[in-house]
Amino acid sequence: MKHDAEHLSPSGQQLLNRGAFLSNSATALSSIALTSLLGREGLLAGRRPVIDPSQPYAARAPHFAPKAKNVLVIFCPGAVSQLETWDYKPELIKQDGKPLAGGPAVTFQGPSGNLAKPQYEFRPRGQTGKMVSEMIPHLAELTDDIAFIHSLTSKSNTHGPAENFLSTGFVQDGFPSMGGWVSYALGSENQNLPAFVSIPDPRGIPQASVNNWGPGFLPAEFQGTPFSASKPVRHLTPPAGITTDQNQAARSLLQQMNVRHLEKHPGDGKLAARIASYELAARMQLSVPQIGDLSSEPAHVLKSYGADNASNPIKAGFAKNCILARRLIESGVRFVQLFNGAYASGGQLNWDGHKDLKKQYDVHAEILDQPAAALIKDLRDRGLLEETLVVWCTEFGRMPMFQKGAKGRDHNPDGFTCWMTGAGVKPGVSHGLTDELGREAIHDVHPLYDFNATILHLLGLDHEQLTFYHNGIERRLTNVEGNVISEVIG
Amino acid sequence: MRLQLTFASVLLTIGWTLGAPDGVDLAKPEDRTDHWSFKPLAQFKADQNIDAFIEKKLIDNGLTMSPAADRLTWIRRVYFDLIGLPPSPEQVTAFLTDTDSGGHERVVNQLLASPRYGERWAQHWLDVVRYADTHGFEVNTPRPNAWPYRDYVIAAFNNDTPFDQFIREQLAGDQFRKDAGTGFLVTAARLLPGQIGKDAASMRLARQDELGEIVINTSEAFLGLSVGCARCHNHKFDAISAKDYYSMQAFFAGVSYGDRPIQSPESEALNKQKEELKSRVREIDRAVAGLVPLARSGVERPPVNALLNVERFAPVKARKVRFTIQKTNLYEPCIDELEVFDSQGNNIALASLDVARSASGSKVEANRHQLEFINDGKFGNTHSWMCSEKTGWVILEFPTEHTIDRIAWARDRDGKYTDRLALEYVIEVTDDSENWQVVADSTDRRSVINIVNGIVDPGPGRTGNNVFENAFDGDIGTMTFTTNSGSESAPQRSLLALEEGAVHNLSRIRINDIAGNDNNGRMKQITVRVTTDPDADLTARTYSDVTHLSVKMFSGDADPLPNIVITSNTIEHLDTTHDGFYSIVFDPVPGATGIELEWVNEGKFKHWALREIEACSSSPEEPINQTGITTLDSEQQAKSKSLLQEKKNIESRLKEFSKSRTVFGGIFGKPDPVHILNRGDAEQPKEEVAPTVLSALGNLSLSKDAPEAKRRLALANWIANPKNPLTARVAVNRIWQGHFGIGIVETANDFGRIGADPSHPELLDWLATEFIHSGWSVKYLHRLIVLSDTYRQSEQIVAHANDKDTEVRLLWRFPTRRLEAEGIRDAMLAVSGRLNLKTGGPGFNLFSSRGGLSGFPPISKFKGDGLRRMIYAHKIRMEPDSVFGAFDCPDAGQSVSRRRQSTTPIQALNLFNSEFTIDESKALAKRIREDSGEKVPAQVARAYWLAYGRDPQPDELADAESVVRQHGLITLCRAIFNSNEFLFIP
Repeated sequence: MKHDAEHLSPSGQQLLNRGAFLSNSATALSSIALTSLLGREGLLAGRRPVIDPSQPYAARAPHFAPKAKNVLVIFCPGAVSQLETWDYKPELIKQDGKPLAGGPAVTFQGPSGNLAKPQYEFRPRGQTGKMVSEMIPHLAELTDDIAFIHSLTSKSNTHGPAENFLSTGFVQDGFPSMGGWVSYALGSENQNLPAFVSIPDPRGIPQASVNNWGPGFLPAEFQGTPFSASKPVRHLTPPAGITTDQNQAARSLLQQMNVRHLEKHPGDGKLAARIASYELAARMQLSVPQIGDLSSEPAHVLKSYGADNASNPIKAGFAKNCILARRLIESGVRFVQLFNGAYASGGQLNWDGHKDLKKQYDVHAEILDQPAAALIKDLRDRGLLEETLVVWCTEFGRMPMFQKGAKGRDHNPDGFTCWMTGAGVKPGVSHGLTDELGREAIHDVHPLYDFNATILHLLGLDHEQLTFYHNGIERRLTNVEGNVISEVIG
Repeated sequence: MRLQLTFASVLLTIGWTLGAPDGVDLAKPEDRTDHWSFKPLAQFKADQNIDAFIEKKLIDNGLTMSPAADRLTWIRRVYFDLIGLPPSPEQVTAFLTDTDSGGHERVVNQLLASPRYGERWAQHWLDVVRYADTHGFEVNTPRPNAWPYRDYVIAAFNNDTPFDQFIREQLAGDQFRKDAGTGFLVTAARLLPGQIGKDAASMRLARQDELGEIVINTSEAFLGLSVGCARCHNHKFDAISAKDYYSMQAFFAGVSYGDRPIQSPESEALNKQKEELKSRVREIDRAVAGLVPLARSGVERPPVNALLNVERFAPVKARKVRFTIQKTNLYEPCIDELEVFDSQGNNIALASLDVARSASGSKVEANRHQLEFINDGKFGNTHSWMCSEKTGWVILEFPTEHTIDRIAWARDRDGKYTDRLALEYVIEVTDDSENWQVVADSTDRRSVINIVNGIVDPGPGRTGNNVFENAFDGDIGTMTFTTNSGSESAPQRSLLALEEGAVHNLSRIRINDIAGNDNNGRMKQITVRVTTDPDADLTARTYSDVTHLSVKMFSGDADPLPNIVITSNTIEHLDTTHDGFYSIVFDPVPGATGIELEWVNEGKFKHWALREIEACSSSPEEPINQTGITTLDSEQQAKSKSLLQEKKNIESRLKEFSKSRTVFGGIFGKPDPVHILNRGDAEQPKEEVAPTVLSALGNLSLSKDAPEAKRRLALANWIANPKNPLTARVAVNRIWQGHFGIGIVETANDFGRIGADPSHPELLDWLATEFIHSGWSVKYLHRLIVLSDTYRQSEQIVAHANDKDTEVRLLWRFPTRRLEAEGIRDAMLAVSGRLNLKTGGPGFNLFSSRGGLSGFPPISKFKGDGLRRMIYAHKIRMEPDSVFGAFDCPDAGQSVSRRRQSTTPIQALNLFNSEFTIDESKALAKRIREDSGEKVPAQVARAYWLAYGRDPQPDELADAESVVRQHGLITLCRAIFNSNEFLFIP
């Protein structure tokens, strides 16, 4: 089973038929035979990974030497305000309460109110002296290690499509997620765990739900497997009433039956791959509960993450998810996506602070700050940041005005902040600018395509080369856009 | 019919570099229309056949066809392939013994005549058009009238609707009395109005997205071309320009997403029946109204209702009736009809009986609000009286005195309007003496405070989903608590906000109809708190306990009544075994702005629902006792109950009617002008374009003001034309792919230049020609294919052939493949004997709630409708089924032209450990025992026959026997459902 048809690029075939070395009478068969040759020569449209169906998660080589081997994405759904966190705007303090001259009369939810100053104090941090908000004191301690991009833009001002855009490069439903692309390209270092794990927030799933970790049209192997410290992988064990013996007997009998069937169909790779998948499943049944069992974590670790916080169970729950994320990275899982926040709910359950931003952010920041900061420090202390890229992101930003009649900010896709730290990232960088009020990006403007292209680049992947053919188009994470943001690369 | 490329597009060609296949010389202008699929079909001599084409190519490559597969393999192959289900042991035996010639044909004819065939083949098409029963994107709410399109597709396959007509009906079914067909136009995900920004640019973008999806669907499904990318830029490889894209969009410029009534003789008959049922409901309402408590009798009466209010009083002589409105919920009062009944139950107030009317003043809007409409016998807002001021009166005067005992009135009996409702009113009558007396007024009606918002705050340690919808809006709604995990009895809080600005004197909460779920425990305790804190954020308010709490229950079901214990503000031992009505009474709380109810359930509380909750202001001490709210005697109660039951039945039938009578098939309006948009940006319109087909393929063009339906019809006729070089090729390729797992053209949605070349171009053209000559008969094609030697070949791998052609593109054997998600689920149910063959109608649920904020918690135990074929599942866009979704089941986000055949450990876990598998294993074990008794060898043999259509080999029997003896028959069944022999089309 050297060459599944999936690996044969139709454009590659096209090319074969057009190439000078093949006559016009070249048959499909001879082009197929030559595909492997061309694949090695790098002549196919995209440099697609070759997947061995019996080992879909086998580690695969990137396009060029990577700076990072794996990725942790901390995703805060609901649109975290750049103005309350990392994009300090002294002019906005001055203009507090005044109307925004020439600003939009109507934004996503309705009429605009007046400009409103940042709802938290800012202080200079570390050696860079960058002003960071008091809302996130623990994360602020990491300022010197972070590369901020303050000038990102999104193509949608609606949460669902914008989450799609951030996670898949398209606003529509149904495109492969970034984690899917990465595990498709690189496989994983651990053959007993999924290559891509998605950890939902204790409060619920994000707005665009499975779009954020779905396979789209990539093979199903490359979808994220959702589980968290409190929610195990589905169907990891049989339902109550099935004994261990019965379980073992069913497995052995199945193995016998499948092997016998394979003997009658010698050489059938698909049948062999299914047998292998049951073996991998059996290994996952052992390794997933181990990885999710935090009982071996010492008290000081639990404490540093805030996982022992009995008075704030959501924070403790998120902190446990952070510890789980570290354990997954430690075990060589290629792509870990960690959610902080659930679906839109008038800002109750995620960062969608429309009504009373300060009050809601007090709650959300408490949940995010200590655990996420502890996670990054823990990764650093264990030396894991040498090879792990940590990305913090949100789908868009918020307006410098309050909404009319409210104390919160409306959606703003025109200029917002996400950041990276860890492997391959230039520390202490603040790249790109929004205007003096933080309304829109004005300098080094980067659509999220660029952000995603940069993540792939750090993993040794050329975002223009990582393609998958679907419905007439060699699809990419970055559509037909994307420029690597070299300023944040170390 | 093809046009040469324009100079401009040649120039553009030169500019394209990004993403071009390496090695293609982009500096050299080329004719992009010089492409095989754009050329007319090849011509053929008579007496060709599939096998000859296949053989020739095999011989050219030094290969040969494999010998025929054995008969068992063939019959299993053709069953799975044509109907998606395995043959029963009897069907296998019948075929194996039917060795007369024509046996294969007989099986194929049977299968193609079976309704199961359409259920199988419709799925292939639904994959392509990304059909789902939800809207997609962030809220992913149900699209409740999508399914008529799904049923339309199934029926089209079963009826062998000619494929050209199938195309026309999907683009313009409204022109052929096939309304459901146009579901095709609007299968895509869409943003609902609330998800689109309020600014004009967001709305324009959303509209462009909607139209874009129609263009994409039409071009990919029928023409095998990706036109969608030309929205932003000319196609990088194919001869499709941005102008082509917008010109094609112009055919659909009058289509918007929405439900449309299905017009058909059947639907008209249904419509008539529906009106009859509606009128029966009114009769029942009137009859039940006769049983309501008397006005002014000291018994509390239900709150005023926009739909219908009945005033019953002791018989009184009346010459005139005066209805005086003192307060409304909003604006000037409006009454659609005032009915006055004599003791025989006749409405004596009708204008046709010479009843005169007068009013303090009337606000007139012709044919809508007129004084004459107060007693014209017609209901609804469009036949109503509206007062000229916020308070006022209307008088009806009868020609003679009558004895009356009942008056009925409503704001809008059609149920569309709830504003302008009289909240405070008085009704007086007078006999000839002009001595007015009050017969009824609003003072003894319960006054309900509007609850405007509600949220659920899960208890500590609880995560999960809560639905809190419509339980407080005055209509029957549901508040459902579903908790997925948490400690056993952690309480949950529900917070209810009262309408802002009103001064509330809250003294009571009524909870109507608590429906528990027997499996998951019931509510056992409620704690009541009230807040006067006006904070905008419900959760941030401070709540204090209420004083002098008491509870009154009035339910017909509870016998004996629950033994409630009240401690301070907590009601304990609340036994909701009997779904019931509770009135919780306490000392009035002036200035109340919100309520908190803290719920505790018994046992491991997971799920229960409230149908309605009301907040009431204080009223005089009510004479309600614990045994009932009304003074009805048992006979009346029984009558009322049976009438209400009848009403409920009718209403559920009406609901079915309304579901089946509309289809989410698009709404057709006046087309907007269509402009080319610079880089696809709706804010940068350029030249206006007319509806015009792709310039590389034809020159059909309509005027810019062509009527809407004519546009779609013209496009449909142009596509569904034997001369269109793509249509028949694309269609036959999809059918071929359905049989062999891969098409002659591997990229079934892409016949453009970046798509794959055909493996057998002559065969493709010959099939397309045959297809057209057969009258575009899909079943004709099926017969040609499945009865060919090519299809009948053995599936065995031949080493030297495998080395040359691993992918079996040349068909030197039959290429086996794994069953699709639906095929696995359906086959398991068929073999376990639990498959429910109910056809058509609304889908069954794979999830216990249908989205919104509660997400999609999967159902794991299925019964009844849940055991139908999977094509009848309510398909949630983007949310895979928890067991079978992992088997490459399309998510209905983007078109899936061919299903992948992934093999993943998650598939293995799902199929090995899911409750579904265990349940079907149990069902199969039970079936086997019923069929073959307690002898283990017979059981094993029966299992093999049911699952594989054969006897077990001696070594298989030995292995299975020992497992059955030690670990039970279920263990064998579980292994069978996971086995490759079961999961693969042989």
